[in-house]
Amino acid sequence: MSELLVVEDLQKYFPVTRGLVFQKEIAQVKAVDGVSFTLEAGETLGVVGESGCGKSTMARCVARLLEPTGGKIIFDGHDITHLGRTEMRPIRRDMMMVFQDPYASLNARKRVGEIVAEPLDVHRVGTDRDRKRRVQELLEIVGLNPEHYNRFPHEFSGGQRQRIGIARALAINPKLIICDEPVSALDVSVQAQILNLLKDLQRDFDLTYIFIAHDLNVVRHVSDRVMVMYLGKPVETGAKQEFYAEPKHPYSGALLSAVPIADPTLGRARKQIVLRGDVPSPLNPPAACRFHPRCPRFVDGKCNVDEPLLTPVSGASDHAYACHFPLERWPMGEDEIRRTPSLAASVD
Amino acid sequence: MALLEVRDLHTRFRTDDGVVKAVSGVSFELDRGKTLGVVGESGSGKSVTFLTVMGLVDRKIAEVEGSVRYDGEEILGAPSSRLRHIRGRRIGMIFQDPMTSLNPVKKIGWQLEEAVLLHNDVSRDEARRRAIKALEEVEIPRADTRVDDYPHQFSGGMRQRVMIAMALINQPEVIIADEPTTALDVTTQAQILKLMKQLQDDHGAAIVMITHDLGVVAEMADDVLVMYGGRVVEQARVDDLFVKPEMPYTWGLLGSLPRLDLVASRLEQIPGQPPSLLHPPRGCAFNPRCAYAFDRCREELPELVAAPGKPNHRYRCHLDDAERERIWAAKKAALTPAEGSAA
Repeated sequence: MSELLVVEDLQKYFPVTRGLVFQKEIAQVKAVDGVSFTLEAGETLGVVGESGCGKSTMARCVARLLEPTGGKIIFDGHDITHLGRTEMRPIRRDMMMVFQDPYASLNARKRVGEIVAEPLDVHRVGTDRDRKRRVQELLEIVGLNPEHYNRFPHEFSGGQRQRIGIARALAINPKLIICDEPVSALDVSVQAQILNLLKDLQRDFDLTYIFIAHDLNVVRHVSDRVMVMYLGKPVETGAKQEFYAEPKHPYSGALLSAVPIADPTLGRARKQIVLRGDVPSPLNPPAACRFHPRCPRFVDGKCNVDEPLLTPVSGASDHAYACHFPLERWPMGEDEIRRTPSLAASVD
Repeated sequence: MALLEVRDLHTRFRTDDGVVKAVSGVSFELDRGKTLGVVGESGSGKSVTFLTVMGLVDRKIAEVEGSVRYDGEEILGAPSSRLRHIRGRRIGMIFQDPMTSLNPVKKIGWQLEEAVLLHNDVSRDEARRRAIKALEEVEIPRADTRVDDYPHQFSGGMRQRVMIAMALINQPEVIIADEPTTALDVTTQAQILKLMKQLQDDHGAAIVMITHDLGVVAEMADDVLVMYGGRVVEQARVDDLFVKPEMPYTWGLLGSLPRLDLVASRLEQIPGQPPSLLHPPRGCAFNPRCAYAFDRCREELPELVAAPGKPNHRYRCHLDDAERERIWAAKKAALTPAEGSAA
């Protein structure tokens, strides 16, 4: 195995401007602020967090749909951090995206064949006849009827549309596919079909995935490694086994316990952290630990003063967290959740 | 007597291509203060069932049959003036998409006040007071100032809270929630579910929870209806359903759920697509996707029958008891809980 993607201290700040003609920058939104990870070829990195935590912005920077403000992105040995459009073009053949909304991400006025063939056209691969054959092959690979080549997207269901999006991403044999919430808009039964399909494709075509989701259940099924993000920063990263066996950050604990369990007896027995409110505005993030206003384990004078850094878990090979008062046991108990009396979150 | 009693409900839509049988013979009861979970895929008829119950399907294009008794009164086919009195006052509704259900050019407060004024003879000031109180109840911070905001100034989770506030503002006896958390993050979903449970405890309202997620059902419901192809294919108390589901479709739904408390290297998927309601398959609607289907399933629709020893647990399936017992035992063994990961 070799490193396909190395991201070091990635930053993306969006300027907030005032004025129409003379735009003056008055503030910055730090959407991504110091994300680092390494992805081996053939691996899947699951990126998890609530809406507004910067996970999509991070992915768009990696795909170079956005220009990073700082940091470094090394893809397949090339530093692509600040490459221009034309220089990116050959590299784009190796990285593709699958988007969340299968309704908005397919051009409603194009036929399925044209949609799937688009990457082939853009990169001028093969003759017309080759392309058509390739598209039919792709439709078959993702489990659609190749005869549906001439249909329009509206003739397909949500799950089938997501398959079309996946066929398009596969068209020119990319190395990396970035899946931005690919199953969030789908029914659970269809979700299972798409997750299984993505796993099969990874095995058959040696794909590497960055898989973005807000549901830790889904991520567990597809990922080798997990990164939990909060307000632009990773708060916990780890190999799947180590992360799920013993999550350390209270935010990871909140995300894990928020998922409904399909077992009434287990569901009633477990302890849950229900977070209050939404992710705060990244325009004016909380001081020190950005999670402190919502954290059930918040300690005044420490968490709001001293920013915790990503520290490795002792004894674990690949597991790190950024918290002063990490969870000590998992599944967590009542005392674990409410370390000190706090109004930030409530306990069920 | 049950608060809401639905008997043999049918809804058929006339379209240019033919008749769509969206709901075929659905029956259930809802008691005061209880939660009924309704599960199924898109197109299983779960939303249309409750739109029909509420009298919200367009009778010009839909044929409706059966009986809907609300608090003893037959409301199916009741005049719209009577239905308007019940809807919003005694039955509140929460829809999936909070952005399209709120009017984007009216202030939140105005929209809540409207719901109050429609059903109560009170002043604008009193309505506004109630609107603020309702927002406080759904834990919107600074409700007295947020009441003058527009929907776009709220996040998705907060908009859904506003929808809940609107559904609750007249203290209804029943709340019909159609996929209220599907568009939300898991953390926000947990907040909303907790809030709904708490409001149910405070006000004693009955809840109908329409969802495609069995996890939400396990968390919320007392009783469950599993719908497929416009029919109820299994109905049971929530514990019975999860301890021993009887119908292959329910097995498929359970298996396709990624779960933290169970280890499965590969999810069990239900192959294929939900059936066309325009040309439903002969026999059991699930037979084309069922791994256990045999000749009888392709010919004859199974009746809704009670499980052995459990009169309240009913299902539609031609497989005999021993066969279902054997298959479920094997499935259960394959889904063994993971060491120490039962969250």
